Amino acid sequence: MTTPQVAFLAALGLILVVVVAFAVLVVVTAARNTGDSGSSATIVLRLSRAPRDRVELGRWAFWAHRVSGVAIFAFLALHLVDVSLYTVSPGLYDEVHVLYGSVGLRLFECGLLVAILFHAFNGLRLLAMDLVDIGPLGARRLLSAVVALTLVLGAGGSAIILAPVL
Amino acid sequence: MSVPRAVAVRGNRPPGLLTWLLIRVTGLLLAVLVLGHFAVTHIVTDVAETGSTFVAERWGSALILGWDWLMLGAAVLHGAAGLRVIVVEYAPRTAVRVLTIALVALSAAMAVLGSVTILRVILAA
Repeated sequence: MTTPQVAFLAALGLILVVVVAFAVLVVVTAARNTGDSGSSATIVLRLSRAPRDRVELGRWAFWAHRVSGVAIFAFLALHLVDVSLYTVSPGLYDEVHVLYGSVGLRLFECGLLVAILFHAFNGLRLLAMDLVDIGPLGARRLLSAVVALTLVLGAGGSAIILAPVL
Repeated sequence: MSVPRAVAVRGNRPPGLLTWLLIRVTGLLLAVLVLGHFAVTHIVTDVAETGSTFVAERWGSALILGWDWLMLGAAVLHGAAGLRVIVVEYAPRTAVRVLTIALVALSAAMAVLGSVTILRVILAA
């Protein structure tokens, strides 16, 4: 392991810590503001109701949108640095870039793909809600489509990303 | 829904309209640019094959350089605007100002780093 590689992995570790800490902040703040205990029993009870009554799904999507957004932006900050190494020397770029093909980084890329897919599709849903009056039920149906697309494309993409190391 | 008249102080433009437009327009661009970028570098091509040879080949095209630069600008503006909302909503009131300055500095540094990279590639060609 060379110094640039160690620096890259340390920065990536720091990013993961920041993202997890932010996710905790969002969930704790949300639980306090909504008076939700956040226990799994409560969550199961809520999800077992009729679809039109599950209005809190919109709030969960809102929080997931924030956490995925912060995660993508944090990775972008690191990605700009590793790509900039190319203009320092292509050899240095390759030295760090080889890490992207490792098992650990490929797993990270699968998580990044899911974050990007959710943030992109949910963002398009928010745009649709702003421009067209689709109502709360329409918004929830669109959210189901967002989650379905994220899961299907995320699973398919992850299979392709992980295939070389399986 | 109507905008309350009392808060629309500057002309007829509702407050926050420019931020709303900025986030929506850059977001729409990014939905295409980022998903396309990820598809090319992780799905169509395996990530292990995207070393300096791959970068050199791709950045030989003005279209790709333009794509990447537009993606950089849209992503930094979109992220900075989104994070500004997060700072205002989560940070203690007394820390909002210093965190906003830090956010602007980080975003500017990212935009400069990415732009310098692209400019150096263009100048070396």
